[in-house]
Amino acid sequence: MRKFTKPTWLAIGWLSLMMFFAIFGWALPFKSWNFVYEDDLEVGLFTNGHILGTDSNGYDLFASIVAGTRMSIFIAIAAVGLGGLIGSVLGITAAYVRGKVDTVMVTIFNVGLSVPNLVLALALVSVLATNVDINQAVPTWRRVMVLIMSLTIVLIPILGRIARGATLSWTGREFVTAARSMGMRDSKIITKHIVPNVLPALIAVAFLAVGVVIIVEASLSILGVGIPDGASWGGMIARGRNDLEYAPHVLYVPIAFLALSVISTNHLGDVVRSQLDSREAKV
Amino acid sequence: MLKISFWLKRIAQLLIVLLLVTFGVSLLLRLIPVDLATVLLPVGTENERDILRAELGFDKGPIGYYLQWLGNFVQGDFGKIYFSGGTEDVSAHLADAMPRSLLLMAYTQVIAIAIAVPLGVVSAYRAGRRADKIISNTLFTLSSVPNFAIALLLVIFVGVKFAWLPTLGYVPLSDGVWEHLKHMIMPVISLSLGLIATYTRLLRADMIAALREDYVTMAASKGLSDQRILWRHVLRPSSLTLLTSAALSMGGLIGGAIVIESLFATYGVGFEVFAAIAGRQYVALQSTVAVIALFYVFFNLIVDIGSGFVDPRTRDRRVNA
Amino acid sequence: MSSLLSIKNLGVNFDTPRGSLEAVRGVDIEIPAGTSVGVVGESGSGKTVMCRAAMGLLQGSNVQRTGTVVFDGNELTAMTKEQVRDLFGSGMAMIFQDPMTALNPVRRIGSQISEGLRVRLGMNKKDAMVRSKELLELVRIPNPTAVLKSFPYQLSGGMRQRVMIAIAIACNPKLLFADEPTTALDVTVQAQILQLLRELREDLKMSMVLVTHDLGVVAGNTDYVAVMYAGEVVEYAPTTKLFADMRMPYTEALLESIPKIDHKSGTRLSVIAGRLPNPTDRGVGCGFAPRCKYAQEKCHTQHPELQKDPDGHLYRCWFPIGKAL
Repeated sequence: MRKFTKPTWLAIGWLSLMMFFAIFGWALPFKSWNFVYEDDLEVGLFTNGHILGTDSNGYDLFASIVAGTRMSIFIAIAAVGLGGLIGSVLGITAAYVRGKVDTVMVTIFNVGLSVPNLVLALALVSVLATNVDINQAVPTWRRVMVLIMSLTIVLIPILGRIARGATLSWTGREFVTAARSMGMRDSKIITKHIVPNVLPALIAVAFLAVGVVIIVEASLSILGVGIPDGASWGGMIARGRNDLEYAPHVLYVPIAFLALSVISTNHLGDVVRSQLDSREAKV
Repeated sequence: MLKISFWLKRIAQLLIVLLLVTFGVSLLLRLIPVDLATVLLPVGTENERDILRAELGFDKGPIGYYLQWLGNFVQGDFGKIYFSGGTEDVSAHLADAMPRSLLLMAYTQVIAIAIAVPLGVVSAYRAGRRADKIISNTLFTLSSVPNFAIALLLVIFVGVKFAWLPTLGYVPLSDGVWEHLKHMIMPVISLSLGLIATYTRLLRADMIAALREDYVTMAASKGLSDQRILWRHVLRPSSLTLLTSAALSMGGLIGGAIVIESLFATYGVGFEVFAAIAGRQYVALQSTVAVIALFYVFFNLIVDIGSGFVDPRTRDRRVNA
Repeated sequence: MSSLLSIKNLGVNFDTPRGSLEAVRGVDIEIPAGTSVGVVGESGSGKTVMCRAAMGLLQGSNVQRTGTVVFDGNELTAMTKEQVRDLFGSGMAMIFQDPMTALNPVRRIGSQISEGLRVRLGMNKKDAMVRSKELLELVRIPNPTAVLKSFPYQLSGGMRQRVMIAIAIACNPKLLFADEPTTALDVTVQAQILQLLRELREDLKMSMVLVTHDLGVVAGNTDYVAVMYAGEVVEYAPTTKLFADMRMPYTEALLESIPKIDHKSGTRLSVIAGRLPNPTDRGVGCGFAPRCKYAQEKCHTQHPELQKDPDGHLYRCWFPIGKAL
């Protein structure tokens, strides 16, 4: 593809590394992330074979971060994928059909958009992650499911609005009218004409959305509502708060990974968008 | 100011959103597979819980429950928080929390705009050149870092290692302006970085477009200096997007600052939301979310009024709309 | 008669993604004091770029200007931006083609007029407003007090153009550049504006450069005319002489393309076939040759230099009209 600048390659490189950890991390020769190294509490980097050190619980930070990468990336991709899919179906349909359906959809989107992301996610997670017997803790896998579902719901209005906007700008164009007049079925028009043109805009936003999800998930974990006792970057930060004074490296590691990942996804989303803009400008 | 019908329609639109949001929240609450009365009154007789149920309207259907809540809300009765020791009024909590969040928001916006405007002007004036690139890239990178990460780093370095600023707590203005401000500095910095990046970007884009307009050349032909043209001719018509974004982000700031508020223990409205959820105080949650939504709607209205002042063309345009 | 404005060998190049664009090439023009000089050419001939380059108003990091411009003894091309700006207002001023975009949309008329007075002449706010009102009266705007308080979008096209003229003459400039001042206006309003400019010139002893694509506008409104084509001056003469005894086939074609009132209805408008040469690649030979009905082989291969008749008539053609070679 066209010339990428150095920062772009860096972003791609970092994200590839993240994906590698996410997909193959379990195969790396480490003990489980929450294996306690009793002799090595709060050690710094490169001590005793712990590349990134350990935290006050004795967890090896490198193992934690790899496991955390898997969790955070998985949640982010799942939420963006589902949210994007549902959102774009709703958005494209609304923009294509117009009329009452559109108005209703827009109102629904607006309602979702008027609550700040974190608040909405917080509300959803706490509602859905409650057991009938509230005193019983919720197993991690269930929390993860709930988390993904809640984030999907948060993303639907955001991505749906983009999809709708992009569709609107395309349905007005002549080739759609032409296709209709030739008797093409609506569903075909949508799949063959609208979707390929809406997709780039969605992809650009999808990158940004991944960043948003990572941040929201981390925020939820810090607040104790996400997966605070599980492996995830947010969880590491939540646990690391205690070590703030004497072992700040416990926080530096997840913060660095988090920040670099979000910077990378934002950058790539920006790159996609500007490619898109320059393509549009030539039209 | 203008046609009454326009404003009525606008307010009606916003009210509908408000109602839907609050209704959505109350619906959500009813979905919880728990008996809410038991949650709120874990220790107590079944009789007491029945009274509670009746009082709060849990025995009614979702719509009935919502209407009862709404009726109370508009009269200022935001419900209660239930402890094992007794109850507290939600409104009292919010009255405490509101000023903290509002001040935090106000400081953040002021700082963000104060920094973003000169950055935006400079990067637009020197668009494509070194200053612009440096500003844009730095801001982009900084804004991608989540605000709690910035907050934590600030706490580690400024708060702990160098101990320049206190890391926790909130001191009201009445207890000393400097103390108050000292506690606010780090939260404000954490929150404003992202905004600075957005505002600068918006202002820069609008100003670059405006600088191409003929009236800029005309102003130059009158013999005015570049600085004067930038600040007194181009800035105002270009600031619309920035101001709109500022007003819209108000709503996000109030509720979305939850993590910052809990990290720094400033106990504002955002934190109240979180506390309500964590403490299963669902009644309090409903009212608090409603208050946040109210604010969001209110600021949307301000945007509309404000854009009439900044760009008088929109005033008359709306008459025709 | 000394020149108020002397442009020598002015060239303007733009760096674009598609290559270097030569908008103006080797232009020499002298504007004697107290005269009005018309600059005529079709869109893309470089006339607007030339005027803005002469004033130093071209913005952008991709602009390269060469040549010398001397105004009232000051060598503009050797001065800094701020120094040149100091000459604007009371030295040079410009009015623009589209008053809707040239006036600041969010500022009231009064403030836009008085700004020049306050910044350049140091007037205080009150005096400047009073003078602004006088200026509006000078340009024949009815109800000046109300107009002072209005915004540009509230006025008609003709009024906006008058306001622009008022702003331009506010500090009594010696030289006024009028860049297509009537193009955006109705024909009847055009005539009014041109007359207004004539009268202002006399009252204020102002010289003028009148840029237009319409030969009809320069007739009767200018003392000299320069015809531009593809970034170059191709003909220059006193106005009456140009119309009576033109040398350039291009000028002749321009004149012929003006629809005349006494043509029978249904007569085809005569047009100049073809297009301007590509500004990124001017090629050899005369730029007009592909479209010229008198073109001969020499025209296609050799770029004609500017020739001067004893009476001062300049033209750039190997085979000028009315002259045997």
